[in-house]
Amino acid sequence: MSTAKIDPEKAALTQPCTNQPDGPGRRIGKRGEIHVIGTVLPGGAKLFRERVGRFQAEAGYWESRIGTVHDFRVVLFDNDTRILVSAVYDGDFVPYLADVVSNAGAWFDMLMPGVWDGYTHAADPATVKLIEGQAYTADAFYAANPDLSIKDIAKMRRLARAVNEMLDAAN
Amino acid sequence: MAARLELGDIQGTVLRGRPMPYFGSYFVFSVDDGAQARTLLRRLLPRITSAADWEKPSENAWINVTFSHAGLRKLGMPREILDAFPVEFRQGMAARKEYLGDVGANDPAHWDMPHGGTGLDIGILVMAGSPELREQKVEIGQEAVRGLGGVRTIHRMDVGLPPTMREHFGFVDGISRPYIDGQGGTPLPGQPVAKAGEFVLGYENELGAIASGPGPDALWRNGTYVSLRKVHQDVAAFRRFLRDNADSPEAQELLAAQMMGRWRSGCPMALSPERDDPELARDPMRNNDFGFLKEDPDGHRTPAGCHIRRVNPRDALDGSVVDMRLHRILRRGSTYGPVLPEGVTEDDGIDRGLMLAVINANPGRQFEFVQSQWVNDGDFISQGERSDPIAGRRDRSDEFAVPRPRKRYRGLAAFSQTRGGEHLFLPGLGGIRWMVENLG
Repeated sequence: MSTAKIDPEKAALTQPCTNQPDGPGRRIGKRGEIHVIGTVLPGGAKLFRERVGRFQAEAGYWESRIGTVHDFRVVLFDNDTRILVSAVYDGDFVPYLADVVSNAGAWFDMLMPGVWDGYTHAADPATVKLIEGQAYTADAFYAANPDLSIKDIAKMRRLARAVNEMLDAAN
Repeated sequence: MAARLELGDIQGTVLRGRPMPYFGSYFVFSVDDGAQARTLLRRLLPRITSAADWEKPSENAWINVTFSHAGLRKLGMPREILDAFPVEFRQGMAARKEYLGDVGANDPAHWDMPHGGTGLDIGILVMAGSPELREQKVEIGQEAVRGLGGVRTIHRMDVGLPPTMREHFGFVDGISRPYIDGQGGTPLPGQPVAKAGEFVLGYENELGAIASGPGPDALWRNGTYVSLRKVHQDVAAFRRFLRDNADSPEAQELLAAQMMGRWRSGCPMALSPERDDPELARDPMRNNDFGFLKEDPDGHRTPAGCHIRRVNPRDALDGSVVDMRLHRILRRGSTYGPVLPEGVTEDDGIDRGLMLAVINANPGRQFEFVQSQWVNDGDFISQGERSDPIAGRRDRSDEFAVPRPRKRYRGLAAFSQTRGGEHLFLPGLGGIRWMVENLG
């Protein structure tokens, strides 16, 4: 059987997957993805490991400020010579880069300087260009509930809680 | 400390509002011969109105000059400078149609105003306080192009405020705009103060950097970009929608106000949600003095999906990913075409609408962000695919929601349709002088 042949039964639930309209990354409904791969500076891995604990501890605070990220990860790989930053988020990527840098720049600044080659500080206009220049688009992507944003999910949770409370009171 | 703007070098339309009433014209020139185009600029240069000259009462007429990317290329701009302009300007607005929602009825295939890909190389704006003064300025332009067979006028569009003194949907227009640090005067209550670099190259912007352009400082200093849009307004469809969804003239006015976020007088619903207050609307000390975050986060007074909460969310997005300071635009709107007589609800086939000249130093994070993320999408207010009820695209959603009393309207038509658009470079006078002296 040819590997290129698509089984129509299994493809019945396929999701329309497009490129982001204005930059790197794939898109399904409201959900976008991005991978950025940079080079680690000599000695950068040691700095990274010293700092990553605090970076992890503050992830909830900073990501809630951004408010559109479903999941996010940072990985050192290739024997600590390269760094991968990836995220699944709501909406477009490039148009919000300046806002993300403005809102969560301090969080990245506690981890990246001296680690990621080319990264000075978030407010440096070169940072947006660095991210855009080292961004990669997924070749395959899947998103559950691609039409629900972080805001929508929070709203539905509030709604579900209210309905449950009402039903509890009625009983 | 306020920025010290070089007013004498900045083209007037960047900082100065139009007169009231106004009589303007947009001219589109196509360049076949770069040397002749440079001659045109040399002739026009002494006649271009700077921001310092704008309020000279003796003249009361103004002329400003803009360029598309194609126009700069034909003028002989070196390739390395052309390639370093922002991507939005390089590609041109028509090429960005998917991102900007210019699809279907808005598709560039239907545009009737030339863009950079169809001959718009140089754009000249004439604005005056009377038709006679406008024609005097037009004559200056025609004199400047005389004998230059390699520069052709391919389009002219006249703009002017209808006798109603309102735009075609019936709203008073142009009430809200940012105060640019260093522009002179003092900000009005509720008017946000924006750093000059958001609107003029060569000054600090809201990211703390000096807004800059490609090539030598002399080319881009005191310049900026104009994101120009020609928007056809389907007034008959708008009136039919109001008629079909509201059972009295008062209810129609309320629905129109809910869609706009202001009553037709310009009175903000935020300050007078139940009824129009024309006196408040006329008071510049009060008509912008409101926010949404504390007073109306859920849109009970001003529906969250209405026009004004999309194009200028004010403080509503504080605490979200969006840094509002990075997405401010300076909008110079003017109307074209005759008024559809009051009460008419069938289209008469005559083109009427708005010419929007959006001034921004960074078209990507200013005009294009507002258009793609706020006007044409609803995610930022948890409204999915819903778009601006007045100005948004309709291919994804035709809904508008009012939270109190809760009602969902369906069947919104494409009341506003794009009929032209381009990102244009509006250099300072020194920039035009640099082009005259260094290109070719």
